[in-house]
Amino acid sequence: MEILQDILKTLSLPEFYFAMFRSATPVLLTTLGAMIASRSGTNNIALEGTMLISAFVGVVVSAFSHSAWIGFLGAILAGFIVSNILAYFVLKLNSNAVISGIALNTLASGGTIFVLYLITGEKGASTSLPSLKLPSITIPVVKDIPVIGTILSGHHILTYAAMILVVVIWYMFRYTKLGMHIRAVGESKDAAESVGISVKRVKYIALSLSGILTGMAGAFLSMGYLGVFSSGMTAGRGYIALATQAIAAGNAVIGMFASLLFGFCASLSNYLQSSGIPLQFIQMMPYLIIVIAYTIYCGMTERNKKMRQLKAGDTK
Amino acid sequence: MRKRVLAIAMCAMMSMAALTGCASTGETKSGSADDKVKVSLLVTGSFGDKAFNDSAQEGMEKLKNELSDKVDVEMIEMGNDKTKFEGSLLDASESDSDIIIVGTWDMKEILENVAPDFPDKKYIIFDTDVDYNLGGLDNVYSMSYKQNEAAFLAGALAASVTTSDMEYANEEATIGFVGAKDTAAVINDSAVGFIEGAQFVNPDIKVMVSYVGSYVDSATAKELALTQYSSGADCVFVAAGPASSGVIEAAAEQQKYVIGVDSDQALAYEGEDKANYIISSAIKGVGITIFNSIERELDGELPYGTYEQLGLADGAVGLANNDIYESVVPETIRESVKEVEQKLLDGDAKVDTAYGMDEATLKQIINSAQ
Repeated sequence: MEILQDILKTLSLPEFYFAMFRSATPVLLTTLGAMIASRSGTNNIALEGTMLISAFVGVVVSAFSHSAWIGFLGAILAGFIVSNILAYFVLKLNSNAVISGIALNTLASGGTIFVLYLITGEKGASTSLPSLKLPSITIPVVKDIPVIGTILSGHHILTYAAMILVVVIWYMFRYTKLGMHIRAVGESKDAAESVGISVKRVKYIALSLSGILTGMAGAFLSMGYLGVFSSGMTAGRGYIALATQAIAAGNAVIGMFASLLFGFCASLSNYLQSSGIPLQFIQMMPYLIIVIAYTIYCGMTERNKKMRQLKAGDTK
Repeated sequence: MRKRVLAIAMCAMMSMAALTGCASTGETKSGSADDKVKVSLLVTGSFGDKAFNDSAQEGMEKLKNELSDKVDVEMIEMGNDKTKFEGSLLDASESDSDIIIVGTWDMKEILENVAPDFPDKKYIIFDTDVDYNLGGLDNVYSMSYKQNEAAFLAGALAASVTTSDMEYANEEATIGFVGAKDTAAVINDSAVGFIEGAQFVNPDIKVMVSYVGSYVDSATAKELALTQYSSGADCVFVAAGPASSGVIEAAAEQQKYVIGVDSDQALAYEGEDKANYIISSAIKGVGITIFNSIERELDGELPYGTYEQLGLADGAVGLANNDIYESVVPETIRESVKEVEQKLLDGDAKVDTAYGMDEATLKQIINSAQ
């Protein structure tokens, strides 16, 4: 009973929902990136490493340029370059996307520490670099509304950017030529090729976009969430994005809800640490919920498919 | 052809970068003379961690500077690839080294396997014990640190700070602990010491206890600390390895206090505003104990074949006493922490250890401060 009270008390705190958006942001941006890559027919396993490299580059560039925005551009450029290396391996050299992705992730975890050491002489965190953070934004009017103001206002600029990008990407897939091409290539690349779509070009673009979005997620981690780069700081968020992307199945809006679900659970597990629930269970919860959500989703789509087949059979 | 060359070149570059990340770079060898004792330090990971390895390196440097007529010093970084640890230890054992120093739990089993094959060599392992029942380990001296004693002092300090009139202290007698993993005895040992130290000063104190579940997830560490600060904690003790940087950020952002761990963490933020929130750190003096044990070895007094736990009394652990501690923490509190230290030394204060403690007792201690 006491546990239930703890949960209810947590759920009534506006700060809890604020933290939910904060935890969800890096996963959401990466989910969007994973989604574009996956819809074009390439699974971008390298998200984790891309995010880590971008987080690192953002910190270093902002420290040396004395500008948070140039650092941000650096992070995006890093994401772009890493995803193009992957694209080069996969599309040009026809290597296996999963293996190349794992190679890039390994490169990222060792490489960032190596370069960090070259620059700062440290291997744990970039604390000695005077890196800068991107600003947080208070929304005028909204911030004065009680409760809702606390939850929605004052977030990091990239949190708002992520929300806007959800709509942009949803729109892109539905109404733009590029979105249609990406979907067409992912569904059937032979069919797309037969109507004159350059499959490789579209895949390059899709992977580049995925890298840019993941780069933003990296910048959020090291220039928003935290103000330093610490080794291995992505801590599996790139892999979580692969799962939320699978739940979303190409729909950016569902992707947002899946990411928020993860943020909700992650935030809940932070708040419930001193409650009576066993810690191991609390720490497992965000990941467990994502697996359960994915299972339910798969079950539902499978059932829908069967229903549709049955209906199709009836009309015949 | 050009494409193939380019592809091969790119692959080579990638693997090189990946490898150099964990290569053993900083080898410092000095010429060995016959009558000198050659001491080799093999660290897991690399130097520059601002914690264990750097402290060990300091100890070795001190040996080199102060006992250069008696010892030769060699330092090897083994990197993060665990599969290379055993090979590196075998290499060192087959070399002309007389004493080989390794550390941490990662090396425990490897040393247990290797040491019996080289009975002529002497081994020192820090921060863990070895299982002497396995036999053949008469040439191994193991030592670990009573981090619970340092944490006890950190707890006493935090409990004094939270009810003081220091600038960022609030009214509530609530403090916090953020640890890396609840499965690591070394982390729980700090938790137990911290809670008991706080209760020693103020029996009614509330200590929030959170675990990151990882040593690297600095974002989650920050989130946990923010949660604790917003729930009324004004001084948090962090024992979470590299993820600690997240907690320190949270402290600076919320303008609350934080106590670091393992090494003087304020040094990593020297000159920055953030350093002013790190009022002290619970230090493990790996370097000092390495230096002391080699001194004892030279006097023929190092008890090989045994395991020792070194604490306050040996100067192996303690609180970091730096400028920030002296300028930010009022003298009355520093005096009372010193008193607690004296009581701990005299045996008037008792601290439990999480080593060998069962889960239920640990839970009970944590719950006693809720």
